[in-house]
Order: sequence, then structure tokens, then C-alpha cells
Amino acid sequence: MTLIAFLILFVAVVIGYVLNLRAARTLRAGGTAMHSLDGFHGGYAALSVLIPTFFLIVLWLLFQGTVIEMLLKGGLPSGQLDGLGTGEIQLIMAEIRSIAGGRIFGEPEQWKLDAAERLVSLRATSGMLLVAVTAALAALLLYRARRRVSAGFRARQGTEGMVHGLMVACATVAIFVTIGIVASLLFETIRFFNMVPFWDFVLGTSWEPQIPLREDQIAAEGAFGMLPVFLGTLVIATVAMVVATPIGLLSAIYLHEFASHRVRSVVKPVLEILAGVPTVVYGFFAILVIAPAIRSFGSDLGLPIAPNTALAAGSVMGIMLIPFISSFADDALGAVPRSLRDGSLAVGATSAETVLKVLFPAAIPGIVGGILLAVSRAIGETMIVVMAAGLIAKMTINPLDSVTTVTVQIVTLLIGDTAFDSPKTLAAFALGMVLFLMTLVINVAALRIVRKYREIYD
Amino acid sequence: MTDATTDKFDWTAPAFQAGLRKRKRSELWLKSLGLGAISIAFAMLLLLIGSLISTGYHAFTQTHLKIEVELDPDLIRADAPERGNYRQILTNTMQSLFPDVPDDRAELRKLTSILSNGAQFMIRDMVVADPGLIGETVSVTVPLSDPYDQLNKGLIDPDTPEENRRLKDDEIANFNRLAEAEVVSEPLNWGLITNADSRFPELAGLKGAIIGSAYALLVCFLLAFPVGIGAAIYLEEFAPKNRVSDLIEININNLAAVPSVVFGLLGLAVFIGWFGMPRSVPFVGGLTLALMTLPTIIIATRAALKAVPPSIREAALGVGASKQQVVFGHVLPLAMPGILTGTIIGLAQALGETAPLLLIGMNAFITSAPSTPFDSATALPTQIFIWADSPERGFVSRTSAAILVLLTFLITMNAIAIFLRHKFERKW
Amino acid sequence: MYDVTKPEHDVDQAETKISARDVQVYYGDTHAIKDVNVDIADKTVTSFIGPSGCGKSTFLRCINRMNDTIDICRVEGEIRIDGQDIYAPSVDPVQLRAKVGMVFQKPNPFPKSIYDNVAYGPKIHGMTRNKAELDEVVETALRGAGLWDEVKDRLDTPGTGLSGGQQQRLCIARAVATQPEVLLMDEPCSALDPIATALIEDLIDGLKKQFSVVIVTHSMQQAARISQKTAFFHLGNLVEYGDTDMIFTNPQDERTENYITGRTG
Repeated sequence: MTLIAFLILFVAVVIGYVLNLRAARTLRAGGTAMHSLDGFHGGYAALSVLIPTFFLIVLWLLFQGTVIEMLLKGGLPSGQLDGLGTGEIQLIMAEIRSIAGGRIFGEPEQWKLDAAERLVSLRATSGMLLVAVTAALAALLLYRARRRVSAGFRARQGTEGMVHGLMVACATVAIFVTIGIVASLLFETIRFFNMVPFWDFVLGTSWEPQIPLREDQIAAEGAFGMLPVFLGTLVIATVAMVVATPIGLLSAIYLHEFASHRVRSVVKPVLEILAGVPTVVYGFFAILVIAPAIRSFGSDLGLPIAPNTALAAGSVMGIMLIPFISSFADDALGAVPRSLRDGSLAVGATSAETVLKVLFPAAIPGIVGGILLAVSRAIGETMIVVMAAGLIAKMTINPLDSVTTVTVQIVTLLIGDTAFDSPKTLAAFALGMVLFLMTLVINVAALRIVRKYREIYD
Repeated sequence: MTDATTDKFDWTAPAFQAGLRKRKRSELWLKSLGLGAISIAFAMLLLLIGSLISTGYHAFTQTHLKIEVELDPDLIRADAPERGNYRQILTNTMQSLFPDVPDDRAELRKLTSILSNGAQFMIRDMVVADPGLIGETVSVTVPLSDPYDQLNKGLIDPDTPEENRRLKDDEIANFNRLAEAEVVSEPLNWGLITNADSRFPELAGLKGAIIGSAYALLVCFLLAFPVGIGAAIYLEEFAPKNRVSDLIEININNLAAVPSVVFGLLGLAVFIGWFGMPRSVPFVGGLTLALMTLPTIIIATRAALKAVPPSIREAALGVGASKQQVVFGHVLPLAMPGILTGTIIGLAQALGETAPLLLIGMNAFITSAPSTPFDSATALPTQIFIWADSPERGFVSRTSAAILVLLTFLITMNAIAIFLRHKFERKW
Repeated sequence: MYDVTKPEHDVDQAETKISARDVQVYYGDTHAIKDVNVDIADKTVTSFIGPSGCGKSTFLRCINRMNDTIDICRVEGEIRIDGQDIYAPSVDPVQLRAKVGMVFQKPNPFPKSIYDNVAYGPKIHGMTRNKAELDEVVETALRGAGLWDEVKDRLDTPGTGLSGGQQQRLCIARAVATQPEVLLMDEPCSALDPIATALIEDLIDGLKKQFSVVIVTHSMQQAARISQKTAFFHLGNLVEYGDTDMIFTNPQDERTENYITGRTG
């Protein structure tokens, strides 16, 4: 049905274009001086049909699921859902849906079969209605657009106005994404704080989200103190930066000051390859190569080393960040005007002195901005730590210990089936909020520094 | 001019010469440190690729066994060939290969376990396709199960103590008899690409993941490309320089640096939680990836538009074209190669992105390839994650092989981008 | 034609400081400087003039081997300073550049304090033993550049905060602080207003007591005002070289005459 609706839309757009184009042509052929070119008349019709109808279909598709579910719930025999938690209701709805899809397991109650039948008919009605409404709206818009064709009609302005509106809409999508992020995180976070006190989360030193799912289950009372998780994130990010910053900066200095053109043209693409490797690959690299290497090295030295050390995850993350830092630093050094370099060389400074005493200090803001962005990446990096870091939150800063991070907890709490009403699931959103705010502050600061720096030398 | 310069500095003084040598040495130091840093980065890349290839190449072949299967009419009902006892048929086949093995359940199970668990389904599908085969003896080549595959590839060392080995001495002896009979072969493992996922490493393939990724990328492209270009054109060519466009600009730059897992949370809460879209489907994955790719495409498009010199705009405006005619007729076509390059690079990033797909459930265990973007599926990176997490030994090399496949896709995409950049590069 | 005061000429010919023989410079495949032979005298101001792109700046940058920093640039022939071939393998460009100072077209003070700008050279070369000596060197250099009185109270403020003319004099101070023997100036006044230019020209006239000053300029008036010797470059060739008076009043070569009378350029 959806496909048919889109087909109707497509046909209507083409018809609108051709009709108006022809009408305009006929008028012009009749000797009328037209304000706009024929093509604009066609474009006007096409766009004025396309935009409203398209949005109608999209909105319909977005909300039909929710509306149908509400209707379905409302139509269930009274009393069936009384006293059930959201999780159980979701299970029942899922069962009804799968019955409607033809997958029947066991012997469901009659009212469920009835509900499934109603679901099927509701869906069919919705599809039918969508096609009818689409066709009606498209026809109406076609008629309206066709009526407009006349010598004085400013079709170009009309078309361009609509295109302009579309572009503005595109530009605001980015804003809506941000609003969406903030809203979704905030909404679930507030629900989380209704279950777990705010200060327990912010200042708690114990993180044990394994709360009992059923009453009779034996499990620890859940504890949601973010400090150990936060600390673990910092430990791993620190290890990563300790690895990445010196290597990245030194490579940038070498590339910028000492490498010949040919060396640069080889090294830079290779570093780009390192930057383009997906993080899941780095994660596998960590568990396949680096973690065993660190473990065997540690046992040779007689050090007690946890299986998922922060060191392994952090150093692999550091490798991932090397190209990031080196390209930022290289750009920053390159943005320092050549005249400063010449000035330093001309008083007899060596290349090393020039780069360390003149270029580097001048490029510091740009480099700091790049390093800050790398820190934000290290904090937000997910796959490497999910695969190579631990799951248990510990209050430790020992990089040889196993720690967990904000991102690891978000993923482990949300993997598998999730119901939106347990503190366990909602805790992931609260952590997401923390992560978002942390990286946002760092990013804003970093981008501001980098921008200011560019302005100085532009 | 004062007379303070009468005592000229002596450039040939030994003290100065020593200082100069010291400066030269520290320059050499810095140079070697830089070279060392680059070497570390190179070494890590080599180690990464090397370890992937050295573990992954095993998965590009699969050990097979050629067997003569007697399709016993007593075990298969001719009217319902899909309900036959194919396991028993295979047991009989294996027993005929080892006539001296006692007719003991445990021993027989050991023999049957040489074959992949999927072998019985292969024979079933063969019979279902051609029921006329019932009663015949057919010669088929079936994959071996993972431990024997590993043994054949030399990954199980018969010299390790028996209790630390996955295959016992008698099992290895059984296999060696097969090998001597020259019925064991090791052809290219096309199943890696043509099979969907499976619990058994020897049957697991990437078909579902590749199709899932393709659908997700398609959705991502269809959404992010037009919206990204529209936004970039507006911001670069039309937007008045005011607070609002400043805000949008800052917003886009920040969005590009938001951790990907946060986009996963957004997708989970909004698309699945609020709009009630299904879990684990490539369509939702593509939507989420589109939101992530959008800033990349906008930034690349703006850069490409900026690179078109203003003289072109002025020339077109000068002959009376409207601003939009100038942009869509002249500027955009000239900027297109740059835009495409940026888009491909953005899509390549999206292809490797894992965390957001995990959160919207694209790590489900699904044994059939999706036929539409609305069927549950995995994607390449999430499949890698699943396999990396699997305990079976055979999945280690599968994971590396899957990564090599993913990297091949990424390298191809980037090569296309580089090609476009070089082919259409224009110096103004 | 030129309403300028004739420079007072040192009649006695000073000894040769720099001598160039058959100098060729290539930028990749481009032959930028062809067969240049010239002897530049000590304690005089020599100006290089010629249309833009004629190679005068390129040749200037050969004298302190600044062209070494450009990958694709290749220099052949020999340039001697005090008889020593500066392109000989034994010569260290770092040491050479300390002896042959350079001032650039655009003022390029480092983003450091005024003091640190001037002290930069002496510090890296280890020319002073203590702070007091360094202070003295800085003061001398700033006085030499005629900037001391203007900045003595704010030595720790950034050099980039000065006006354009002051910045350029700061750069001159930075160059003379290493006590060079030759001072190369690449169109030092092109980015400055007339008043700042006049100050710098006065300064150059004083500097020649100490150094051999070589200045590239696009302004013939300036060359006539401040230099004793003038070399005219055209398309990479040194066309004519001699006393400034002679070049401007009685050029031997037709190309020189065309240029200084404004027919080409």
C-alpha cells in the first residue's frame, strides 16, 4: 500500500509537470508574453504537488504504528491488561503482532486471535486510507497548480520560493537532530531520576546495574553510582592520549619539517588508512593481538594483570587516534605563515629550533584544539572498549586493572531486548546524557579554539 | 648607531663550534624521534593487517569430504521428502567408510560429527529438489565440521597433550584414514559470501550481513545525500550571515563530533521507542546512519561549493540568471566531484560504524538474508562483532576474514573517491 | 625626473665582500637565474632592481642559502663571501645565515614579546653568557634599528602588536642582533607607508657603516636614494651592474634604459 501511495505521488508529480508545461507552451504559442519560462510552470506544479503529499505520506507512516496500537489496545476486552507492567503488555502486543503475521506458537487465547484479526483489518484500512488520502490531496494540488498557469503568473518566483523553503528545511534537519538527541536523552534521563535519586547517580561510588528482573530472583540490589564508570572512562582515555599525543605530534613535526615531498606523499595516505579502519576492527585487534601480548609480557615480569586491562583497550585506542592528532597538528603547523619560518631560518636557527621555538608555539591553539577533539573521541569511542575493556566497574586508576567505561555500560545495558521502564535500561540513557554533555563541552571548546586560531592567520 | 659592536662575536670560537654541534645533534634527535613515531604507526598498521591476514586466510578455504550417500527409501518418504531421517543416512554413509568401527552409538556419533551439521540439510535440499534420487547412491561433497577443518588446516597440533586438544587421538586417526583415502579436499570457501549466519563456523557466511549493510547504506544515502546537499547549498549560497545561520553552523560542526553511540541512543529512543519501528532492521539502521553521515556530507559539500570561484557566479549573475539558476546550473555541477568524493567517504565511515547498529538491535542472530530493508538483519560490522564474541575456535579466522571483506569494501569505496578527486580535480 | 636628493657617495671603493660566479638557479624545470656574475662591496648599499619575476629576490635568497628550504630549488655556480664558497659542503647554512642576516618583504615578527624576538638569534647561537649580556645585545640591536626609544618600556609586549613600520624595524633589529656581516633586504618597505619607509631608508644609510647591505627594491627612486651600487636584473639575467649614478643617468644597456625610463616594467 505504501508503495502504491508513493507511485501515485510520482505519477502526480510527472502529470503536474507535463500539464503545466504544455499549458504554458500553448499560451506562449498563442502569442502571449509569459512572465516565466515554461519549465518553471512545470516545476511549480511538480513541486507544489510533491512537497505536501510527500510529507503527508511520511507523517502517516511515522504515526500509523502508534495510532493502530492505541486503537488495538483500546479495543481489547476490558480487564485483560489490568495490573500488568509495560513489559508484559509489550509481550502481549508482540504476540498479537506475530499472530497477525501468521506465526502462531502454541494455543493462544481467543481474545488474542480476535485482536490479531482486528490488527490485520486495521492495517488494511490504514493502507487503504493512505492511498485514498494521497490520491485526493495530489488531485487537489494538481488542479490548483493547473489553474494558476497564466501570462502574469510568477512561476519562477513560486518555484524558487519552494526550492528555497526545501533547502531551509534541509538546513534545519541538523538542528532537529540535535534537538532529537537532547530530547530523547533528557526524557529518558528524567524518567531514570524518578526511580534513582539524582545524587546517588552523580556521586555514587558503586555501579551494579544487575537488578532482579523477577521478584523471586536472587540478585544484588541495583546500584547506580556513575563515578567508577566515569573514572574507568578517564583511565582508558588517558592511556589512549598518552600513546597518541607524543606519537601523533612527533609524526606531524617530522612530516612538516623534515620529510621530503615524496616521503610525505607516502606517509600521509598510510596514516589515513589507519584513520579509516573501523573501530570494530581495532577492537578485534585488541583482543587478538595486543591484550595477549600485554598479558604475556606482564606475566614474564611477574605483574598481576587483569584479563581485560585498561592498558590494552587504551593503547589500541591510542593507535586509532595517532592519525587524528598528527593530521590536526600537521594542518596547524601548516597554517603558520611561511614568513615566520623564513624569519627564524634567516637568523640561523636549525629546522628543529624553528619548529620547536617558533612554529610550534604559534600553532599551539590549533594543536590543542585537535588534542581536545581527540580526547572527546577517546571518551566517546565505543567498540574498542566494548570488545577489549571489562564490564565490572571498579574505583581504580590502575591501568593494569580491568575497568569499564560509560560507552561499554550503555551498550551492555541496551543489547538484547529492552523495555523502556526498568532503571537498567534508563540508566543507559542517563549515561548517554553524561557522555553527550561531556563531549559537547569539549567539542565546543575545541572548535572555538580552532576557529579563533584560523582567524588569526587567515 | 652605538659603538657597542666593537667587540665582534667570534664565529670560529671553539665554544660556538661546540654549541653548534650540540644543536645539530638535538636536531638529529628530533628527526629520529619523528621517524620513530612514524615507524610505530607503520608497524602497528602492518601488525594489524598482518595478524588479520595470518588468521583470516584459513577461512577462505573450507575442508570438504567426498562421500557416497545411499538415499535409502526406507528412511525417506517419497511423498514427503523433506521429512526424511537424513541424519541416519549420513550415519550409515560414515559407517560404510569405517566398516571396522564397532556398532556403538557413541562411536557412530563421533564418526558423524566429522561432517558439518549442515550436511544433512544439504542432502535434504538435494532430495527435495529432485525426489527421483530416492533409492539412488549419489556422490556429494560436504563441508567438514569445524574441529576437523581446523585439524586439516594444521591448526590443531597432534603433539599437544591429548587432554588439551579438542580432538582425541582416535578422532585424529579417523581423519587421517579419510585423508589417506584421498576423499578430503580444501576448495575455496564461497560459503563465506553465499551463506547467511550460522551457529556452526563451517557454515557461517556473510550474505545476510552484506545485504543488510547494503540496504542500510542505501537508505542512508537516499536520505543524507539530498538533505545534506540542500542544507549545504542553503548555508553556503543563500543563508544570510546572522545569528541563526551561525547557530546552524556551530550545530553541524558539533554534530560531526558527537560520539556515534549517542546516535544509537537517539535511534533507539526515537525511531524504535516513539515511532514504534521494528528492531534489527536495516531501514532503521540506515536512518540512524543517515543522521550521523549528514554533517560529514554537509561539511564536504560546503567545501566543494566554496572551491568554485566567485567569478563563475558573477559571470552567470551578470547575464541575468537568478541566484538559484546560477547555483543549480553552474556552481553545483562544478562542485559535484567534490561533493561525491565527500559523500563516498561519509558512506565508507557509515559502513564501518558499529555502535549505533548494536543499539538498534542489528546484532541479532539471523540465519537468512533479508529480502527487504524491513526484514531483520545484521550488518558487516555487527556481524564481525558477533563472531568476535563467539567462543568457537573456527570463528576467530571467520572474524578476520569478515574484517578483510569489510576492509576490501572500504578500500574500494575510498579508491573510487580518490579516483573521482584526481579525475575531476580542477585548478582555478 | 626624480625629485630625490642624490645619495652622498663613498668615493673610496671598499673591498669585495660577496662575489658570485656563473650562478644558475633552477626551480624544477624553470631556469630562474642565468649566469650571474657580480662582486658586491663591503660597507656599501647595493640594490637589485628589475621588473617583477626577473629573479632579483631569488638571487638574493641564494646569498644566505634560503633557497635550500625549497625542495625543488637547485643552485649551481659559486658564491663566495670573504673568499669562502658558501655552497661548499663544509659550510653549514645555519652558521652562514647567522652571518648573513635577512629582512623580508612583509614584517614577520614571531608571536613572542619584543624582547624575545630580538633575543631569539643570540639565544639559539649561545652568543651571550648571561642575562645582562643578552639585555645589552637586545638594547644594542634595538638602538641599531632605531626602535629602542619607542619600545624600551614595553619590551615584554607582543611584537605583533606594533605598527607595520615598527614591526619591520623590529625584524631589522632581530637580524642585526646576531651581528651579521651582510644584511639582505627583500623589498623591506613594500608593505609600509611613506613615513615608515623614510625611517627605514634613514636606518639603512646608517647600517652600511657596519654591514654590506644588499636590498631588493621595486622602486627605482628608492634604489637611487639609498644605494651606491645598483644591479639591474631582467628575465633571470644580470643585465647591468655599476655605480647607481651611472645606471640611472647613463645606462649602457638598452633594456636598462627602457626599464628606468618607464617603457617596460
